[in-house]
Formats: sequence, structure tokens, C-alpha cells
Amino acid sequence: MNEQKNQEWNLLVPLAPAIALVPLLAVMGVEPIDLGFAAIAAPLAMFPVVLLIGQIWNGNETWVSRFKEGGILALSALSVSLIAGLWMVLDFLGAGEKKAHGDPLTWLDFDVLRYDGTQWNIDAGFTNISFGIWLDPISAMLLFVATFLCFLICWFAIGYMTTDDINSNRNHRFFAEFILFSMGMFGMVLADSFLWLFIFWEIMGLCSYLLIGFYYWKESAAAAAKKAFMTTRVGDVFLMVGLLMLYDIYGSLDFAVVFDNPSTGVGEAPVKASELQPALLMLFIGCVGKSAQFPLHVWLPDAMEGPTPVSALIHAATMVNAGLYLVARMVPFVDVDYYGVMGMEDLGIIIAWVGGITAFMAASIAFVQNDIKKVLAYSTMSQLAYIFLGLGSALYLMSTGHRYEGLFVLGGALFHLFNHAMAKGMLFMASGSVIHEMHHAHHELHHHDGHGPHDDHNEHFDAQDMRNMGGLASKMPVTSIAMMLGSMSIIGIPLIGGFWSKEAIIAETWLGALEYEPLLLGPAILAVLTAGMTGFYMSRMWMMTFAGEPKHNAASHVHEETLWIKTPLITLSIVTATTGALLAFFHIGEFFSSKDYSMGFDDLDVTKALQIAFLPEKRALMVVGYVTIALSTLVGPIIAMKVHGGSLKEGQEANVAVSWLVSLSAAFKTIDVSGMANSSLSDSLRKRLHFDDLYDWGISKTIAPMAKFSAWFDANVIDGIVKLVERTSIQGSHWIRTYTTGSTRDYILMAAVGALSIFILIMGVTI
Amino acid sequence: MSFTGPLSIITLVPLLSGLILLVLPNVLPNDVSMRMKASVRNVAIGLSSAIFLLTTLIFIGTIGQIDWLSIGMGDYVLETEDPVWLIESIGVTWHLGTDALSFPMIWLTTLLIPISMLVQWDAEDGHSFHSLLLIMEGALIGVFVSLDLFVFYIFWELTLVPMFFLIMIWGGEDRKYASMKFFIYTFTASVLMLVGILVMYFNTVADPNYAGTLTGHHFNLVLMTEQSRVDGLITSEGLRHFVWLLLLIGFATKMPSVPVHTWLPDAHVQAPTAGSMLLAGVMLKMGAYGFLRIAVAMFPESTLTFVPLLVFLGMASLVYGAVVCLGQTNLKRMVAYSSVSHMGLIFLGIATMQPLGFAGALFMMFAHGIISPLLFAVAGSFKHHYHTLEIGSMRGIAHHSPFLAGHMMLGWMGSLGLPLLAGFVAEVAIMIAFWMTFGWWVLLPALTLIFTALYYLTSMQKMIFESDDPHTGKLPDTMHDEEPRDVTWHENAGMFVLGALTILFGILPFIFWDMMSAWSTEFIQTYLVHAMNMLEASP
Repeated sequence: MNEQKNQEWNLLVPLAPAIALVPLLAVMGVEPIDLGFAAIAAPLAMFPVVLLIGQIWNGNETWVSRFKEGGILALSALSVSLIAGLWMVLDFLGAGEKKAHGDPLTWLDFDVLRYDGTQWNIDAGFTNISFGIWLDPISAMLLFVATFLCFLICWFAIGYMTTDDINSNRNHRFFAEFILFSMGMFGMVLADSFLWLFIFWEIMGLCSYLLIGFYYWKESAAAAAKKAFMTTRVGDVFLMVGLLMLYDIYGSLDFAVVFDNPSTGVGEAPVKASELQPALLMLFIGCVGKSAQFPLHVWLPDAMEGPTPVSALIHAATMVNAGLYLVARMVPFVDVDYYGVMGMEDLGIIIAWVGGITAFMAASIAFVQNDIKKVLAYSTMSQLAYIFLGLGSALYLMSTGHRYEGLFVLGGALFHLFNHAMAKGMLFMASGSVIHEMHHAHHELHHHDGHGPHDDHNEHFDAQDMRNMGGLASKMPVTSIAMMLGSMSIIGIPLIGGFWSKEAIIAETWLGALEYEPLLLGPAILAVLTAGMTGFYMSRMWMMTFAGEPKHNAASHVHEETLWIKTPLITLSIVTATTGALLAFFHIGEFFSSKDYSMGFDDLDVTKALQIAFLPEKRALMVVGYVTIALSTLVGPIIAMKVHGGSLKEGQEANVAVSWLVSLSAAFKTIDVSGMANSSLSDSLRKRLHFDDLYDWGISKTIAPMAKFSAWFDANVIDGIVKLVERTSIQGSHWIRTYTTGSTRDYILMAAVGALSIFILIMGVTI
Repeated sequence: MSFTGPLSIITLVPLLSGLILLVLPNVLPNDVSMRMKASVRNVAIGLSSAIFLLTTLIFIGTIGQIDWLSIGMGDYVLETEDPVWLIESIGVTWHLGTDALSFPMIWLTTLLIPISMLVQWDAEDGHSFHSLLLIMEGALIGVFVSLDLFVFYIFWELTLVPMFFLIMIWGGEDRKYASMKFFIYTFTASVLMLVGILVMYFNTVADPNYAGTLTGHHFNLVLMTEQSRVDGLITSEGLRHFVWLLLLIGFATKMPSVPVHTWLPDAHVQAPTAGSMLLAGVMLKMGAYGFLRIAVAMFPESTLTFVPLLVFLGMASLVYGAVVCLGQTNLKRMVAYSSVSHMGLIFLGIATMQPLGFAGALFMMFAHGIISPLLFAVAGSFKHHYHTLEIGSMRGIAHHSPFLAGHMMLGWMGSLGLPLLAGFVAEVAIMIAFWMTFGWWVLLPALTLIFTALYYLTSMQKMIFESDDPHTGKLPDTMHDEEPRDVTWHENAGMFVLGALTILFGILPFIFWDMMSAWSTEFIQTYLVHAMNMLEASP
């Protein structure tokens, strides 16, 4: 066993040149900002290599054992990106600049004609479309998140994917699509224009589609993949229209041009809110689709059909943040103290409402999910909604001139993005670890019981169903600790990760609602309620999985994972547990503060952070804060423990780090809720509040019949007319043929009649 | 001599050698003819590859030293130096030239011919098949290079002949009806176009060098365009509009635009793969090419007057075509209607009257010329190996034919406008220009993108995915007991080239975009801005 592990470490040797590449480039004098090209190019170049080699050498011994069917190559490409990303971020931090912009390359060169009142001229105010690298605090943070998580989750995937028989000889496809996705994510984060942001955004959409449908033979996976692509496509089309409008207003889609002074457009013309606001709303519809918000949220839970690393990376930690990133990019447009456009309050309010509704809805649906990944999917949706809520409040506050509060909640929202990405990426990997082991345990059991090795073990047993789990705390110490820390961060247990950021979002939304705009009250109330609900469903998930006694034979036979799976869990546990401390000790707030729209923790140190969280200046906010803490830390988890808690099986011991939680839950366990589970409310929650049914019904009543009718119309009416002409002309020629009698007399007669009529015609014309 | 210029060579060599290769085996003694028949395809692909190489050399500047960015409409490069009289009495000359409008199409033609030969490398009666493709090449290039409307029209109709035989002899079940319909339908429309051309001919002023000795008029396109720019070719407004409409009928049928599109699905479904590839890849673009070159350039006022009609036709083709696609169950029919839908975008791009929109339309012609042959190659290979074209009659291509599935995925994604693939650039350029000119109407084409995605994804879901079992998949009844295979090496090679170009021109569109964009600006400034100013000032 040990020997085998040593061999596994040897596999990492190909990473060495990849790791050396970026320092080498830097030594050769490549500007740090231009390393962004390397971060994008490395996975892009590796994509066809992995795909083609994998297809041609499919099943080759070396390819499988040495290269893990491309996993190692993918990892080496991602290590180039990781190091380039870290290098860029560190250089950026060190330089102390608030913005870094590489020289853009021209991509599309063209002219635009404008009517100037007297004639049409080429308008030089419209710039070409170019591509460059853009780094500011927001993209630096996301760059770190993206490169770090892509690397870790690829690492995890090598352990997760290659040990499952069903994937063998198919993994090259997984890894190729995985790095293509990573390319898309890095590109989106680094792009210096809205158009390139959109381009990479769509590339991510494609990879999401391909990876959700990785198990292509499963009907559910194929349907889920299509649903994900179509739903996001609806949003993307509006996003594209938004881009057209922006281009028309500013004559450019480059951040450098647009953000230079958002209140003037082409030729220094003042920008009207009535033109800009629809454009931004169009962009926001795209964000709603990509980040799975109400009403375009239906695709995300289905997307869990993909392999778990995909759920961890794409559908929790990176791609779904794209929408948030774009909304965060809208801040300069509304920042009225700093060249923003006046009169755009509605935008922020709409975004906050969408966030509030989605947060509440998703949390309530998460109550009744039994699939561990589905719980996490709804949790993702709900947490993303929090961030939208925060961004919406930020946009509102800044558009009304409350810049300090606005920047503060913007910082909170982006910090929540960071915390959530780390925690949720880890939670999904931990759930993957659980599923993986459950699956293997079940597989082995079947093997030993003589049920036949070829039995389709998926058929009767769902390795993702939490009702089969229980008591895993004793078997999987690393996973259980990781899951606990991740859940705590998501719930917002004081002092851990997500607490800081969520507290900021809720407090500032309440501030906006109480002091400036009553319309924000709705989202604010929903946000507090959701905090309590989050406490419940996350605790419920942990309890069902790790506490109590095993509910299925397989659950009592699991054992801990390989190093491939453990390493990223441990790394992210540390990150999750310590981000709060990071915030405080390393003055991360200073980095995020800037007058150029970024995280707004001006002069925020640990005492200030604690003060804002626990002792805000306004009494009302303090009440809200403590209610939130009470709901999320006490009420939610305790109810969850009452329902789902329980001590481990006799004789089983859990790690100290989690055993206290198990014992605590056993102490609270009292209620039996099987009656409630059958209520009509829980039934409609299980059916996801009928949104999917509604959409299916709508499509089957409109588009499907319309398509059928059009196909019929084309074949029978439009082509029918053509066929009619054909038939009549054939008949006509038959008819004309009857005049070809062959008799000279007839011909003379016809000639005479013809000549006469011509004669009469000419006479008539000349007279 | 004027028949030895590079453009004459790439037009005449394939035409004549194709004719020779077609006829020779049938007149030679039997044993020689057998040997010759076997080697025809090698000769044909070698010849067409050489022509492709020659065209590429022209493009990169080795031949002719051309600066592609500096030529506008009216400047032609590689022009035949002293045009040769073909019919002196009525003023027909052998006069060739190319510019940024026609050159990408020429390059595309020379590229697609060897690829389509490769894809149908083992066609039955290959000696006639591959030589017909050579004739096709000559005719298609002739359309794009001739600067004499008479010769243009001859080539225009000549393209129908090899295509007619390709469909008639190598087509599917219903080939006879389809080939007749294809021929008569497009021929009728072309005749109307010819009437328009003749009216234009009779309005040309006598030119000492080009006018026919008998009629005193000429077919010279360069002179006609110049005359129309300076004095207006036809003075009567009514007649001008009439001629414009006649031309439109000819070109719109070729594109094809709704409602004169129904010949296309029939022709495509029955045509052999190589025929479909050329039909969709190049022949449809002849319509857009002629429309810009003749109708728009010579009658700018009429074009501006009829912009609403163009928008209507484009919108109808785009939206209606996409919705009809949704209702199709035959793979090739669906792809054919998707061509109708994409051609609609070209009309929309032209209707914007923006350089950006024109460049987008030009790039669409080119991008669609790469992507749609890929789509038809995929559909053809599917038919070849699974003996059916019904969508959903089989599941799990990904399992049996991973390469076919990969090409299908790439082609479909390219066609639905995925960024970094060739089609996206054209789409986004046209959309930007469309918003500038028509505002919120852009929602219609934008929402159509959803339909486009829907029909492509649905067909993939039902073909690539879903096979019940990871190890078997579901095969169509038409397979009987045949073992499913992946694509053959030559199909694979052809599709690889097209796929690679789809990606290449998606990431580096400026290879052709820059000259198209420069040409569009020049074209609009030279021919349209004057009319646009008049129109803007008049209301």
C-alpha cells in the first residue's frame, strides 16, 4: 500500500517543467500582467493534446497508469495557470496599483457610420474590438479563486474519476473538457472587455454542457445538459443584446474606455439613465441565467448529474460566480460620486429582490432534498442569491450617493463570493468523497456476497442518498471535519469564513431598507429568514451523513479516501477555517479598499470587523445582527439536531474535532417528523415548487406545436404552391399540346389570328 | 496572353481538365479506360489541391504581391490585362479580376473541392464523380472572378449542370424529382435575373474599348458600376426599381431566402455529401455575392428604398427558418433549413447599411462556407454508416463513433454561434450593426439564437447522447445486423480540416476579416453614402 502511494507521487514529476515555466518566463522579462496570456494559453494548448492522445491511445497501459488518462497533463497545465495567477496577484499586491492593464491586441477592426445632421460620416468614437489582460482587486481575487480551485479540484478529480470503472477509457474526455473550462474561467476573469468576458462566459457554458452530459448514456444526464445550456442561453441572448446597447452608448466594450468616465459616451455625449439602465438590466438577465437565480434557476439542481468534481468546480465554485462578477462590474456605472450616471436606483432594487427571492426559495427547497448533492446545489443557489442581494444593495446605495455604505456591502458581497467558493468547492469535494466511498463499499459488498460482479450496482442503490448514510463520522475523519467546517462557513457560525461576509450583506441591506428605501425591506427580511434556514438544512445534511447509526449496510463499510482526495480537502479546510483570521491579520481589507470600485473595507482591521459584526453603531442593525446570529447558529442547527441527530453506533469512535458535534446532536434528538414529510407543502417543495413543470408545460404548449405547424406549413403551403405551379405547368403543356394538331389548316388559321391581333395591337398603341 | 493569368488558370484548368477526365475514359479503348478510371480521383484531388495551393499563395502575397487591405470596390486585383473579345458584336469580353468580396469565396471554393472529394473518396463511379466536382470548381470560381456580366451569367448557369448530375446520379431515393426541381426552380429565377441584366446592358453608354460593334453596348461590370456611380445607370426610377427587384428574385432564390427556399431542402436531402457540401458552402453564397456586386453597387437608391423589404426577407428567413428546423425529423433537412436561417442573417447585415454589418455579412458568407460543409459532411457520414437520416432513430453515437460525435459537436456548436468558432464573429458583428440601425428589432434575431440552440441541442441529445447502457447504445433498424463503425479515415481527415478551420477563423478572424472590413467601408463610402445623404436630407 505504501509502495503504491510512493509510485503515485512519482506521477507528479511531469509537473516540474510546468511549474518552472512561469518563473522562467518572468526571468526572460515577460511583464507580470502578460503572464495572464500564459494562464489562458496553457490549458487551451493542452486541451487538444489530452483529447487527441486520449482518443488515439485509448486504453494504453502507460497512458492509464502514468498519465491517469490525461489527468497529469491537465494538472500540469493548470499548475502553469496557478503559478502565473499567483505571480500576477502577488505582483499586483506588491505594486500597490489599483489597476493593471496589459497592452491590448486588436481583434476585429471595423468602422461605424453616423449621421451628423448633414451627412453620414465614419465616426471615430467607436473603437475596435481588442483583447487584453485586466487586473484590478475584483479580478485579482477571482483569479486566485479560479486558479487555486481549478488546480485543487483537478487534483481531486484524478483520485475521484480514475478509480471508477465506468469512467475508464473515457477520462481523457473529462480532463480535456475540464481544462477547456478552466481556460474559459481564467479568460473571463482576466478579460479587459465586456465582449471577451461574454466570449469566455460562453466557452464555460459549453464545457458545463459537455461535462454535465459526461455520462452521455444516461437519459437524465443528457436532458440535464441540454436544460443547462438552454436555460443559460436564454440569459446569454439578453446579455448579448445588453452588450450591443453598451457598445452603442460608449462606442467601445473595453473596461478601460467604458469605466474611464461612465457618464459620457461616444463623442463625450452625456449618457442617459433611460438608455443605460435597460442595457444593464439586459446584462443582469444574463447573470440571472448563469448564476442560476430565479426565474432561470431550474438548471442548476439538474446539473448535479455531472461527475462530482464538475459540480464542485463549475456549479459551485467558479462558473456560477460569473454572473456575480459581471454585476460587480456594473458598480462604476452607478457610482454617482465618481462619474456614475444619475437615476439608476431601480437596478439595485431589482437585483436585490431577485437575490432575496432566490435565497429564500432555494433554502426552502433544500429542506426536503435527500440527495446530498442536491442539498448542496440549492445551498449554492441560495448563497449566490445572498451575494446578488449584497451587490444589489451596493448598487442601490452607491446610486443614491451613499458611497461608504455601498462600498462596504460591495466588499462584503465579494468577500462572501470568496468564502462561498472555497467552502462550497470543499463541500462538494467532501460529498464526492462520501459518494465515492459509499459507492465502492456497496460495490465491494456485492462482490463478496456473490450477487455477481456484473450486477448494475447503481440500479437499486443510490450512493448519493443521505437516507442510506449515517454514522460516517467514525469512518471518514478528514471528510467529516471538512464537511463540518464548510457547513459552518456557509451557515455563518461566528468567526468562521462566511460569517463576516454574510453579516455585512444583511446589515447593510437592512440599513438601506430602514434609512433610505422601504422597497429593500422585503429582501432584507428574506435574507434574515434564509440565514436561519441555512442553519437548518446544512446541519441536517451533516447530521444525516455523519451522525447517528448507519442506515444502510454500505455505510458501515466505507473507509477513508486516497491521498488524491484527501489533500485538497485538508488544504481547503485550512483556508476555510482561517479566512476570517486572514481578513484580520493580513489587512486584506486594505487590499480590497480602493476608490476605483472594489472591496470597500477602508481601514478595516480586526477590531473594526468585530465591531461591525457585533456592535454596530445603529441599534436597529444590532438587533438584526443578533437575530441573524441566533437564527443561523442556534435555532436552525438545533432543530436539525432534534430531527436528524443521534449518537454513533456502539463502539464507534469519531475524531475529537467532530465527536462533540455528534454527542451534541444525540442530546437534542427528540422529534419524529415523518408526518410532516408527507404534507402538501413538502410535496411541492420536493417538486421544486413546480417551476420545472410549469416551464415544460409552457414549452409543450407553445414552441412544440409552433414547430410542428411551421414544418407542416412549409411542406404543404409554401412548397405546396411550388408544387401547384409544377402541376399546372405540366397540365398546361398537355393542354397546349392539343393544339399541335399537325393539320396545316389549323396552323394557317392560328397564324392569321395571331397576325391580326398583333396588327390591332399596334394600331391601338399608335392611335 | 489573357488566358494565362492566375485567375484564368484557376478557372479554366479545373473546368477543362474536368471535362477531359469526364469524357476521355468513355472514348478510350477498354483496358486503358479501366486503368484511367481508377486513377481519375488521384488526378482530380492532386489538381484541385494544387489549385488550392496556388490560391493560398495569391492570398499570402507570394503571387501578385497584393495588399488586400487597400483594395476597395471598383479596384480589382489580378485583373486580366487586355481583355479578350469573346463575342465582339455584342461586347462580351474575357475579363477577370478579384477583390476582397470575391477572393474569400474563391479561396473557400478551392478549399472545399479537395475536401469534398476526400469525404466522398470512395464514391461509386468515382471517375465521373470527381471530374464533375472539378467542373463544378471551375464554374464556381468563374462566377466569382468574371467582371463581364455575360460571362458571369454563363458561369452562373453552368454551376447548375454538374450539380444537377451530382444529384441526379448519386442522389438518394427521390433524386430525380429533387434534381429537376433544383434545376428548374433556380433556372427560372436566374432567367428573371438575366432580364434585369439585359436591361442594364441596354442602358450602358458606348465605350470605345468594350462596346460591341453591333449593339454599341457592353457587359463590362467595372464600367457599368462606374457609370452608375457617376451618372446613374438607369435614369427612370420605376425601371430601376423594377430591375432591382428582378435581380433580387434571382439572387434571393439562390441564397435562398424565404419564401423561395423550398428547392433547397429537397436538393440537400437527396444530394450526395460532396454535392451538399458545395451547395451549402459556396453555391448559396453566389446569391449574396451577386446581390452585393450588382444590385447594391449599381442601384444604391433602390437598395435604400427597399431596405424594409430586405429586413423582412432576412427576418423571415432567419426566424421562420429556425422554427421550421425545430419541426424537422430528418437530419439533413434540419441542416438545410438552418442554412436558410443563417442566410437570413446576411440580408440583415446588408440591410443595416453599416460597414460593420456589411463586413459581418461577408464574414458570415465565409464562416458559413466552412461550417455548413462540416455539418453536411457529418450528416453524410452518419447516413453512410447508419443508413438513415432520422433524428432519434439511434442513440449514443458517442459510444460507437466517437470521432463522428466529436465532429458533430464541433459543427453544431459552430453553427449555433458559439464564441471562438467562426460563426460567432459574423453573428455579433451583424447584431451590433443591427442594433445601431434598427434598435429593439434586434430582439427578434437575438431570440432566434435560442431556437437555433434548441434544435441543435435536441438533435444532439437524441443522437450523441442517451444510449440506455454505457456499453451498447441503441442502433437504428436500418443497420440490420451490421456492426457500427466510426468514420473512415478520409471522412475523418476532411472533417478535421473543416473543424480546425472553424476554430482557426473563430480565434483569428482577422485573417479574412480585415480585408472584408476595409472593403465594406470603402464600398459604402464609394457607392452608398451619397444615396444615404440624399435620403436622409429628403424626408
